Amino acid sequence: MWTFGRKIAAGFALAFLLLAGIGIVAYRGINSLANTSRLVTHTHEVLEHIANVLSLVQDAETGQRGYIITGDEAFLDPYQTGIASVPSVVKELRQLTADNPNQQKRIDEAEPLISAKLAELKQTIDLRRKGNLEEATKIVHRGEGKKFMDDLRGVMIQMEREERGLLAKRAEEVGAAASSAQSTIVWGTLICLLFVTAAGFYITRSLSGQITQAVRHVESSSSELQSAANQQASGAKESSTAMNEITTTISELLATSRQIAESARRVAHVAEDTSAAARAGDQTVQKTQESVSGIKRQVDLIVTHMLDLGKKSQQIGGILEIINELAEQTNILAINATIESAGAGEAGKRFSVVADEIRKLADRVSSSTKEIRTLIEEIRAAVNTTVMATEGGTKAVDLGARQFVEVTNALNQITALLGTTTEAAREIELSTKQQSTAVEQVNVAIANVAKAARETEVSSNQTLQTATQLSGLSRELTRLIQPTASA
Amino acid sequence: MTGATTTSSRVAELRSEFDKSFSLPPSSQVVEQIENLLAIRVAGDPYAIRVQEISGLANNRKIVPLPSPIPELLGVASMRGGFLPVYNLEALLGYRPGTDPPRWLALCASNEPVGLAFAEFEGYLRIPLIQICAAEQRYAAHEPVKNVVRMAGMVRTVVSIPYMVEIIRKLCDDKRGLKER
Repeated sequence: MWTFGRKIAAGFALAFLLLAGIGIVAYRGINSLANTSRLVTHTHEVLEHIANVLSLVQDAETGQRGYIITGDEAFLDPYQTGIASVPSVVKELRQLTADNPNQQKRIDEAEPLISAKLAELKQTIDLRRKGNLEEATKIVHRGEGKKFMDDLRGVMIQMEREERGLLAKRAEEVGAAASSAQSTIVWGTLICLLFVTAAGFYITRSLSGQITQAVRHVESSSSELQSAANQQASGAKESSTAMNEITTTISELLATSRQIAESARRVAHVAEDTSAAARAGDQTVQKTQESVSGIKRQVDLIVTHMLDLGKKSQQIGGILEIINELAEQTNILAINATIESAGAGEAGKRFSVVADEIRKLADRVSSSTKEIRTLIEEIRAAVNTTVMATEGGTKAVDLGARQFVEVTNALNQITALLGTTTEAAREIELSTKQQSTAVEQVNVAIANVAKAARETEVSSNQTLQTATQLSGLSRELTRLIQPTASA
Repeated sequence: MTGATTTSSRVAELRSEFDKSFSLPPSSQVVEQIENLLAIRVAGDPYAIRVQEISGLANNRKIVPLPSPIPELLGVASMRGGFLPVYNLEALLGYRPGTDPPRWLALCASNEPVGLAFAEFEGYLRIPLIQICAAEQRYAAHEPVKNVVRMAGMVRTVVSIPYMVEIIRKLCDDKRGLKER
């Protein structure tokens, strides 16, 4: 696509070429006219010199005749002027017609005739001075002088005729050149005007279209720029606000970092104390582990005793079954004795009392054995529960012993880890101090960024104003280019 | 400590009561106003047997089953050097016999030796006669029941042994009559 400059340059170049063509043609025509005019002038000069030559010869003859007739020297002035000027005029005529061989040839013919005529004039004048009028008259009457003059006049007429012919020819050439130049100028001007008008129309239309399109682009871009500037202004404002918040947050972070450093220092101190406490705890745990081992032995002994107690209670239960059986049999015997004593009449009454007491004792033994059985069952249940609880205790003690080992290991690990923790806390303290320094630097940087954000906000507002002005200028330019479109 | 004290006091009480029973003379009046009963359970229900209506009590006696048209007859058992038929008191009272064999055996004080077997013996009761009363209609659903005894908020049915013997006798007579025909 051609640019504005290229199109305008092309239009001007076309106009320049047309003008240059017209100028060249006009120059050539004018030059031809000038040459032809110069040649016409030259021809006129030649004609003048031809006339001068003939006139000077005639003046010399006129003076010769007056002198011959009168003998007065005053009549010889034309003769003197003629004979003095004729050679130079002939010479000039020869120079003027140097480019014309025919005229040179005629000059060659005329020069002897001029010399002969001048010689005849001089002879007669000399004779007249010598007072020999008759001789002089005779010479005149012989007509030699006239013949020379007529021949010379004929030659001059031929030269004049040729010059006149050349003059007519050059006049025609001047007319043709003038007509050609006139036609060239007129038609060239018309063509140039046509081309320039067409080019101007095309360039104007093309440029108007392109400029209108470009202006619309500019208008659209300015609107977008306006919108972007709006967004940028809003974003810059938000950035400024965010930067203020970040500055506040960074300040809080700085305070927090300092607190962390202080806390890390305290953590290191506490970790050292804890490490000492863990070592003391390790010793305590070892002692406790020994105590737990003693408890385990005692618990094992208790379990053994409780199992023995269970076995004994089982044996008591067995014996109690026998007692119960005996009581039941005693009861039966007592009942039977009561029945028998009742059958024995009065004699059996005392025996009945004894049997009744025996039955009562058997009942009480039976109820006591029931109570004892209940107690033994409770004892056995308690023993079982105790054994189970003791076994659970044994397991718990075993577990406790294992856990004490684990606790010992854990305390050792805690001691080691506390050393690591102390180192880490010191590193944290150092790192946090470095972090605080870095955060301070970040705070300064953030303050600079906040300042830049505020400046960006101002710049965005200026950009917004510029975009608004650009949009107005675009509309103005559109109105200038296409008034109807803008309307 | 408290348990030991309680046991010691109970032992002292028993000893005192035992000595007291021998120190006092036997009172015939008191004896006549007291009824001696055996507390038993039949099919889980409380019953009582008058001691004067039996001639003996035994337990864990081996009962040898006998083929008999009388389903209430469990078999024969040896008692005091002789054999006697043993009937199931539970069946005689109209209960459906249980699966476990009765453990206790009471000898009826009748001319013919008969044993009544029951499952559970609870104890020996000395009940004032005033607590023994005639059975109401609802307790007299079975013919052997004539009296009941009220004690400790519980009503215990008194089984009449002679009446039970009479029932057994009738059963035997019926079966014998069927066989002769």
